Amino acid sequence: MVPVQYNVRSLFVRKVTTSVTAIGVGLVVFVFAGALMLREAFEHAFGAAGRPDVAVVIRKGSDNELSSAITNADLDRLKGRTGVSPNGGVIGEVVVVIAGERSDGSGAMSNVLVRGTPAEGFTFRPEMKVVEGRVPKPGTGEVIVGRAIAGRFNGLSVGGTFDLRHNRPLTVVGVFTADGGSYESEVWGDVDYIRHALGREAGVSSARVHLNSPSDFDSFRNDVEADKTMAMKVAREPDYLRKQGESTASFLSGMGIAFAIMFSLAAMLGAAITMNGAVANRSREIGTLRALGFSRFSILTSFVLEALVLAIIGGVLGSVCVLALTFVEVPVINFQTFSEIVIRFHAAPSVFVKALIFSGVMGLIGGLIPAIRASRVSPVEAMRA
Amino acid sequence: MNLATYARRNLFRRRGRTILTMCAVALAVLIFCVIRTIVAEWNAGADAAAQDRLAIRHKVSITMQLPRHYVDDVRSMQGQGVKAVSFANWFGAKDPKERVPFFAGFAVDQNTWFDVMDEMQVDPAALADWKKPENKNGAIIGDQLAKAFNVKVGDKMVVTSDIYPGDWDFKVLGIYTPLRRTVDRNTLVFRWDYLTDDPRATFSKDQVGWMVARVDDPGKGPDISKAIDAKFAEKDDQTLTMSERAFQLGFLGGFSAVLRAFDLVSLGILIVMVLILANTIAMSARERTHEYGVLRAIGFPPGHILGFILGESVLVAVVGGAIGMLVTMGLINGMIGPFIEENMSSLFPYFSTPMRVILTAFGAAVIVGIIAGIVPAILASRLKVTDALRRLD
Repeated sequence: MVPVQYNVRSLFVRKVTTSVTAIGVGLVVFVFAGALMLREAFEHAFGAAGRPDVAVVIRKGSDNELSSAITNADLDRLKGRTGVSPNGGVIGEVVVVIAGERSDGSGAMSNVLVRGTPAEGFTFRPEMKVVEGRVPKPGTGEVIVGRAIAGRFNGLSVGGTFDLRHNRPLTVVGVFTADGGSYESEVWGDVDYIRHALGREAGVSSARVHLNSPSDFDSFRNDVEADKTMAMKVAREPDYLRKQGESTASFLSGMGIAFAIMFSLAAMLGAAITMNGAVANRSREIGTLRALGFSRFSILTSFVLEALVLAIIGGVLGSVCVLALTFVEVPVINFQTFSEIVIRFHAAPSVFVKALIFSGVMGLIGGLIPAIRASRVSPVEAMRA
Repeated sequence: MNLATYARRNLFRRRGRTILTMCAVALAVLIFCVIRTIVAEWNAGADAAAQDRLAIRHKVSITMQLPRHYVDDVRSMQGQGVKAVSFANWFGAKDPKERVPFFAGFAVDQNTWFDVMDEMQVDPAALADWKKPENKNGAIIGDQLAKAFNVKVGDKMVVTSDIYPGDWDFKVLGIYTPLRRTVDRNTLVFRWDYLTDDPRATFSKDQVGWMVARVDDPGKGPDISKAIDAKFAEKDDQTLTMSERAFQLGFLGGFSAVLRAFDLVSLGILIVMVLILANTIAMSARERTHEYGVLRAIGFPPGHILGFILGESVLVAVVGGAIGMLVTMGLINGMIGPFIEENMSSLFPYFSTPMRVILTAFGAAVIVGIIAGIVPAILASRLKVTDALRRLD
């Protein structure tokens, strides 16, 4: 076995080539890890929100709260069913998206999700914390905005106002966080005030049901979904929220990973060129090693290892740089509701494990053919040259 | 042996390396084109939006509707440049058998829709048929949707909705022909009265989702928009009138950040290309340092050395770039594009690389060739003859 030190030192001798190739690999790893971090960001935003002992009820046939509708009578009929927590266990909420103008002065519009919830709605989500201002007074046109979108749109910061209908303004009195969950991209106000402003007093969009325990979910769902007079669909809150982010998440991270894989082909070519050059320049050294008694296989593994080290240097470089993305927030569209959600790149440990494996694979593939070439060098001819 | 021959022979002295580098450049051009195509096609619908059409929507929300009588109010503005007005409701159409993941369904005013949206052409006989009172459940659909649902003219089709409960039965009366390549071929168009008269659609009774107005003079669009909005400024339901382009962009407005990220990623592949090419050129130049010393010693000026190295870099980039262009045209426009159009038509109804993207990629490759070659070229040309001759590797 040729000592690994030989390879490491060889890499250091050719500083320029090594760093250029490692930077190339690093860039590819950056894109790859970025895509994975985006996926984690969705997982974090949508998976972190919601509680297992809360069920979301929407109209059968709807995919989300926005297009769902439940009449007041049906909402009442959810109360007192199997598994429902006896005190304040059912709330009806109204969900609407409104057009917001970006506060960056571009005049561009996007959609913001507004949720009308009764006073209990705030206690329904213990993860919700007011970080600025205060909780809106029930029954008024006061609203509180999620931290992720606060300030991104005109009127959506404390003290700002926006119209829900002509002459029925909502006033922002506070900003809240929700453990980084997707609720942070919503505006919350009073359900009755908002319903009235929309002229939708006859019902709500969806219901949240607090169950006695998470294990009561199945019996509650069976009970509600079997009731043909209502045509409702029941989901666990975390499952519902995760599904909301799913199509956007898979679109974006799928795109990112596809880019990274295409990039990696180029980086592998780059690694192959570098290693080829290394083999060509060092044929005399290789011949000497062979003459000293190192086997063909030792030479092969030695050069594969060198490519691996080279790629992993790049992988580490890319992984370190990609950490900067954790400070970046990106607005994306929830394909379900066309409303904007702001997510922050999330660095999970698994991202870096995968990134390093990815860079290693690039090194192995890129280095294999040059390494085979190296192992075929004939000691006699190499030393004569 | 002249200088050009020397340069040409140099290029293939390390044949494997040159070929690999050209492949890398070609690959980078291909990847660049793929990313730019995604960005271009994403905006294609909005970019092709008709200049002379305005969209009128509810000021507060795309999900809120406007009273039907607003249509007549806008139609009455003929003196102010409004030529024709049509309207539609979003139906939230879904395929009950889930053959199509997503498609658009509109309930429209059958008397005006295809006159205003004239990029969708319908056979006049089918259109006349569709307007007959007895054909209230008639639908005009796109050819791809017809294929996915396996229906033809005269057949029944059943569609469900995300918004309105139950099954909705339609009779296919015609297939529209897209006159522009950006027209979605997966759309279901049916009669507004069929929706508004249905008891399941009480929420939309006598309401319209949005209006489309055709104007005499596209240049007056902003003024007409203001006039329309002013007309409803004191009503409970206020309007927001904008160009069709702005309307289309509004749905995906939040994606602008993502598209910017794609821009950065496409820049990233160019950087990868620079790194690979610069590495190759630097390796070659270093190997030939001794030779360049000899050339200088026998009287070649430094400019020639610079020219050799820079020329080699640009040549590799140009050849690689040209291969990349051809591969892009063959692979994306010939194979992958049609596949995406066939299988992912809800996301990318059209997927082919525009010529300007291909030319940009080629131009970028040439610039990359210059950037990658410039540093090794300057270093080699500045080297002292004695130092160069001393170097043996």
